[in-house]
Amino acid sequence: MFKRLRRNTNLFSVTSILAGLLIIIPMLNILTEVMTPASDAWLHIRRVLLQRYIVNTLVLIGLVAVFSALVGLFAAYIVTRYEFKGRKLLSWFLILPLAVPSYIAAYVYADMLSYTGTFSRFLRAGNIGLTIDIMNMSGAVFIFVMTLFPYVYMLTRSALQKQNAAFLENARLLGASRAEAFYSVVLPLLRPALVAGTLLVVLETLNDYGVVAYFNVRVFSFAIFDAWFRLGDTVAAIRLSAILMIIVFAIIFIERLIRGKRRFSGNAKPKPVPRMPLSGPWRFILPGLLWVIMALGFFIPLAQLLYYASLTFTDVFNTGFVFLVINSLTLAITATLITVFVALMLANYNRGRKSSFKHALLKITNLGYAIPGAVIAVAVMLFFIDLDHMFYPLYRLINPESARLILTASLAMLTFAYVLRFMAIGYNSVEAAYDKVGEKFTEAAYSLKTSKLKTLLKVDLPLIKTGLISAAIIVFIDVIKELPLTLILRPTNYDTLASSVFRYAREEMLQESSVPALVMILISSLLIFFLTHQKKGVTANVR
Amino acid sequence: MYVRIESLDFSYTPKEKVLNEISFSLYEGEIVAILGSSGSGKSTLLRLLSGLEMPDEGSIVVNEKTLCNAKTFIDCEKRAVGMVFQDYALFPHMNVEKNIAFGLKKMTRSDKKKRVMEMLELINMTEKKNAYPHELSGGQQQRIALARALAPKPTILLLDEPFSNLDTDLKTRIRRELRGIMKTTDMTSIFVTHDYDDAREIADRIVYLENGHIVHEETITH
Repeated sequence: MFKRLRRNTNLFSVTSILAGLLIIIPMLNILTEVMTPASDAWLHIRRVLLQRYIVNTLVLIGLVAVFSALVGLFAAYIVTRYEFKGRKLLSWFLILPLAVPSYIAAYVYADMLSYTGTFSRFLRAGNIGLTIDIMNMSGAVFIFVMTLFPYVYMLTRSALQKQNAAFLENARLLGASRAEAFYSVVLPLLRPALVAGTLLVVLETLNDYGVVAYFNVRVFSFAIFDAWFRLGDTVAAIRLSAILMIIVFAIIFIERLIRGKRRFSGNAKPKPVPRMPLSGPWRFILPGLLWVIMALGFFIPLAQLLYYASLTFTDVFNTGFVFLVINSLTLAITATLITVFVALMLANYNRGRKSSFKHALLKITNLGYAIPGAVIAVAVMLFFIDLDHMFYPLYRLINPESARLILTASLAMLTFAYVLRFMAIGYNSVEAAYDKVGEKFTEAAYSLKTSKLKTLLKVDLPLIKTGLISAAIIVFIDVIKELPLTLILRPTNYDTLASSVFRYAREEMLQESSVPALVMILISSLLIFFLTHQKKGVTANVR
Repeated sequence: MYVRIESLDFSYTPKEKVLNEISFSLYEGEIVAILGSSGSGKSTLLRLLSGLEMPDEGSIVVNEKTLCNAKTFIDCEKRAVGMVFQDYALFPHMNVEKNIAFGLKKMTRSDKKKRVMEMLELINMTEKKNAYPHELSGGQQQRIALARALAPKPTILLLDEPFSNLDTDLKTRIRRELRGIMKTTDMTSIFVTHDYDDAREIADRIVYLENGHIVHEETITH
C-alpha cells in the first residue's frame, strides 16, 4: 500500500487533492452552519418571504430556460442546416451577446425604455404614446434570454454539426416527413446539448445579482444579499444559500433521472447533414430573425452604450479609470492562470486508470459552477474568517500589532472564490483538449523513461496548447464579467470594471457606467473573436 | 422484371460524373450484389434508388411503379424502400422495439406490437426487445437494422456495405444468416460491397461497377 501511495504521489495528485479539499471545506462549512439556531430574521423570512422567493426563482428560471432553449435552438438550426448570405458571419456573431453581461443589458434597456429614454422619445416623436415597463419579471426574463441564449446556441450548433446524416435519412426512408423526422429523431438526439446549454443558462440566471437587484425581482440571490447586507444576518443568508443549493442539485438530479440509460450518440462515424439553400421569402425571413436576435442581444445595447460613452467619456476616463482597468485585468489574469493550472493538474491526474476516488474528486472540484455566486461568496467568506482565526497567532508572531483579519481583507479571498467558481469551465476545456489527443503520446513518452513533469512540458502542453488557450479565454471572460462574488468579496475601496458599472448604475449614473461597460464588452468580444477564429493547431491532426 | 433501372446518370459536380448510363434489372426475390472498389459509385447508386439523391437522367421502376424518370420523382419517405446503412444508424435514443416500430406509422398499436415480435422472431432476438443499441454487439445491431428495414414490408431492400463493421469470424456466420432471412422473406434486395466473398456468399447475381460504369455481370449458383 505504501508503495502504491508513493507511486501515486506526484505534482498532479497532490495539487488535485489539495484543490478538492479547499473546495469541499467551505461548502461543508455552509452545511454545518445551517445547524446553528435560527435567528429572528430567518423566522421572519421563512414565515413571510420564503415562499415568494421560491416561486419567483422557479418562475424566472423556468421561463428563461424555455425561451433561451427556443432561441438558441432556432439560431443553431438555421445556421447549421441552411445556406444563406451572411451565414458564416452570423454563426460566430450569435456568440457575441455573451460579451454583454446581463446586468449591463438590464441597465441599458431599462434606461432606453424609461419615459426619458431613447426608445420612448423616438416613439413620442412619431406620436405613439407607448411606454414599455421592463423593470419586472418579464423584463428580467427578456434580458437573461437575450444575453444568455448563446450557451444553448453554441452547444446545440456543435451537436447539430456532429449529428450523423444517416439518422435523418433513415427516418425519412422509414416514411417520416421532414417535420416528423425533426421531432422524432433530430430533436431527441440534440437533447444532451440542449439540456446542457439550458442548464448553463439556468445556473447563470441563478447566479445573477445585478439584473434582479436592479429590476427588484425577489429571487434567491437577491434574498441572500438582502439577508447578509441589509439585515446583517449571516444565519439567514446561510440558510437561504443552503435552500438554493438544494434547488440547483434537485434540477441536476432530475435531469439525470429522466435521461436514464438512453444514449444520444450512435457509434456511427458522423456524416454531416448537407445545408439546404433557403428559397422564396424564407431567404429573408429566417436570416432576418437571426439579425433581430443579434440586434436585441448585442447591437442595440452596444449602440446605446457608445452613445452614452460619447457624452461622458471625458469625465470618466482619468487616471482612476486606468487603474480600474489594470485592477480588473490583473485580477482576471491571476485567477485565470491559477484556474487553468489547477485544471491542467486535475486533467492529468484523471488520465490513465480511473477510480471512484478520482471520480468523486472531479465532481467536487467542478461543483463551483453549479453553485450561485452569492452562495460561494458566503461560503468563502466564512472559510477565510476561520482561516484568519486559525492563523492569528502566526500574524501576531510576525507583527504583534497585526489586524485580526488579514486574508479576509485581501484579494486572495476574491481570487480563491473566482477559481472555485470557474474551475469547472477551465477543467472541461482542458479535458476536451486531452480527449482529442488521447493518451498514446504521453504513454510513448513514459515508455521512453521521460518524467511526468517533462512529458507534460515537452509532449502534452504543445499538443493541447489550443485547448489551454480556449480554457484561459473562457475563464478570463467569465472572471472579468463576474459580479456577485466581486461585490461581496472585494476589499474595501477596491473596484473592478464590473463593480464600478454596478456602483454607477446603483447611483443612477447610467451614462457614466457606459465607459467601463464598453471596455468589458470590447475585451470580451475581441476574445470571443479570437476563440472562434483560432486555428485548430496540432490537436486537429493527431488522430 | 420486378426492378428496372435504365440509363441512370448522376454527378455531384458538373465536371465529374459519378454514375454513367447505369442499366440493370432484378427479378422478384432476387438478391443482387453491386461489387466495386471505393469511389466506384456503388453507394451513390443506392442513394439514387432510395430517393436520397435525384438522378440527372434515367429512370427507376419498381413493381410497375415509376419512382423517378424525366417527369416524376417520388420523395424518399414515399418510396417504400428499405435500407440498411453501413453503420446501421439505429436511433440511439430508442430501444430495439421502438427502432423496429419506427416505420410502422399507419398500424394500430396491437398490429405494431405483433409486427415487431414477428421481426424479432425472424432475426432470433426476441429477448433483446427492450435493449438500447449501445447494449448490443455489432452483429446484433446489424440484425436489428435489418429487422427495422423489413418491418414496413418494403418493395425492395437496399444494404450499404452491411459487413464493413463486423470482424471476420462474425462475418462468415452473419452472411449465411442474412441470406437466409432475405430468402425467407422473399425480399428483392440490392447490396453493395467491395468484398468479392461477401458478394459470392449472399447474392444470386453480381454486378461489377467501375468508375461509374457497369463492366460485367456474373450469376452465382448456390
